[in-house]
Amino acid sequence: MSIILECKNLTKTFGTKKALDNVNLSIPRGRIIGLLGPNASGKSTFIKLCSGLLTPTKGEILIDDHKPGIETKKIVSYLPERSYLNDWMKVSDIIEFFKDFYDDFNPEKAYDMLVRLGIEPKDRLKTMSKGTKEKVQLILVMSREAKLYLLDEPIGGVDPAARDYILETIIANYNEDATVIISTHIISDIEKILDDVIFIKNGQLVLTKSVDEIREETGKSIDSLFREVFKC
Amino acid sequence: MLAKLLKHEFKATARIFLPLYLILLIFGLINRIFNVFDIFGDSISFNMQSTLSVISSIIYFTLIVAIIVMTLVIMIQRFYKNLLGDEGYLMFTLPVKPWQHIVSKLIISMLWSGLSLIVIISSIAILIGIKDTLAALSRGINFFIESLGYTGLLTACSYAILMFILYVLMIYSAISLGHLFPKYKLLASFGMYSVLYIINQVVTTVVLLTFGNKALANIISNSPTPSQIINFIQSLLPVPILLIVGNFLLTKFILEKHLNLE
Repeated sequence: MSIILECKNLTKTFGTKKALDNVNLSIPRGRIIGLLGPNASGKSTFIKLCSGLLTPTKGEILIDDHKPGIETKKIVSYLPERSYLNDWMKVSDIIEFFKDFYDDFNPEKAYDMLVRLGIEPKDRLKTMSKGTKEKVQLILVMSREAKLYLLDEPIGGVDPAARDYILETIIANYNEDATVIISTHIISDIEKILDDVIFIKNGQLVLTKSVDEIREETGKSIDSLFREVFKC
Repeated sequence: MLAKLLKHEFKATARIFLPLYLILLIFGLINRIFNVFDIFGDSISFNMQSTLSVISSIIYFTLIVAIIVMTLVIMIQRFYKNLLGDEGYLMFTLPVKPWQHIVSKLIISMLWSGLSLIVIISSIAILIGIKDTLAALSRGINFFIESLGYTGLLTACSYAILMFILYVLMIYSAISLGHLFPKYKLLASFGMYSVLYIINQVVTTVVLLTFGNKALANIISNSPTPSQIINFIQSLLPVPILLIVGNFLLTKFILEKHLNLE
C-alpha cells in the first residue's frame, strides 16, 4: 500500500510550549483515519502543518512525496476548525471561487449537497447560523476530488441529524485511493466509519492502530478505549 | 492563477469602493446645484441656502477624506485580514504561490489608489465644471513640461509610482514581520513599519552620499539647469527599485518560510 502522508521527527513549538513532539508517522492511501485526542493535544497543529498553514520547527512532512507547497495544496482538501469564508459572499460566489482555484472541485456535487441540506445558494453567509456555515464549508471541502482530506472537527457544531448526513457524505464522496483524516473528540458518532485511529496526547502519538485490531485485542469500542487512555 | 487572484481581489474590494465613488460624484453634483444655480436666491431663503450649501460642502469634503483614508485602510486590511487572519486559512490552502498573493494585493491597491484619484478629480470637475478642471489640469501639466520637459514629466511620474509601490510593500513587510511576534501582532506591525522606514531612509542616505555625493554637491552649490535636476533624479531611480525588491523578497520569505496562522 503506498503512502500518502509521511512525517519524520515532526516537531512544532509555540514559544516554549511543544505542541507536537517528534512525531513519526506514515499514513497509507485509501483509509479513513480518526485523529483523536483531548483539547490542546496537538490535533489542529498537526493538521495545520500538513496543510501548510504552519511551518515545522523541526522535522519534515511529505504528502505524496512533496513538502507542503503548491503541489500538495492541489491534492489536499482542508476543513479548518473555524470559519474562513468572507461573510459578504453568497454561497454561489464561494462555489465560483473554489471552481476557479481547484481543478478537482466539482460544482454539481456541491449544489446537490446544498439542496440535500436545505441551503439556498443565493443566501449570504452573513445571514447564516454557525452550524449552517460549518455545513457550507464541509460541502465545499467534500466536493473536491482530493487525494487527502484533512477535516478538523467537522461535526463539532452541527446537530446530530446533520452529523449523520455529513458522515455519510464523507464516506460517499471520497474515492478508494483517497485518505480522510478526521480530528475530533466526539468519538461515538464517528467510530463506525473509521478504519484506523491515532491517539494523540500532549503532542505525542500514544497509539496508532486499526479499529479492527483494537476491537480484537481489547474487546472495547474506540470510545471506551479513548476514555481509558485519556482518563483525567 | 495570478489572473484569478486579481479577479477575486477586485470583486472583494469593488463592493466597497464603487458605492463610495458613486456617493462622492453625487455629492459633487449636489454641491454644484446649490452653488451654481442659486436655487434659494431671494433674501428670505438666504440663510436656508447657505446652511444647506455649507452642510453639503462639509459632507463633500468629508467624503474625499473618507475615500483617501479608505484606500489606505483597505490596502492594510486586505493584507492583514485576508492573508494573515481567519481568511488566510483559505487563501494559503489555495494552490497559489505566496508571491502571487503579494502581487495581486499590490496591483489591486494601485488600481484603487489610481481610481480614487481620478474619481476625486472627476467630482471636482462636476463641482466646478469640466472645462475649468481640464483647463487647470492642462495648465499644471504644461507648466511642468515647460520647465522640465517631457523627460522630466516621465521621470517624476516614474518616481512617484515607484515610491508608491515602495510604501505599499513596506506596509506588507511590516505586517508580515509583525505577524512573527507571538503577541500584539498589530502593534508589532506598526513598530516594524517605523523600523523599516528608518532602514529605508538610511539606505537612501548612504547610497546618496556614496554614489551621488558629487552630483548632490553640484546641485546644491550651483544653480542647476532643469536637465541636470532630471539627470540627478534619474540617477536616483535605482534606490527605490532596490528597496522595492528588498521589501518584496522579505515579505515573500516570511510568507513562504515562516507562515504561522495560529
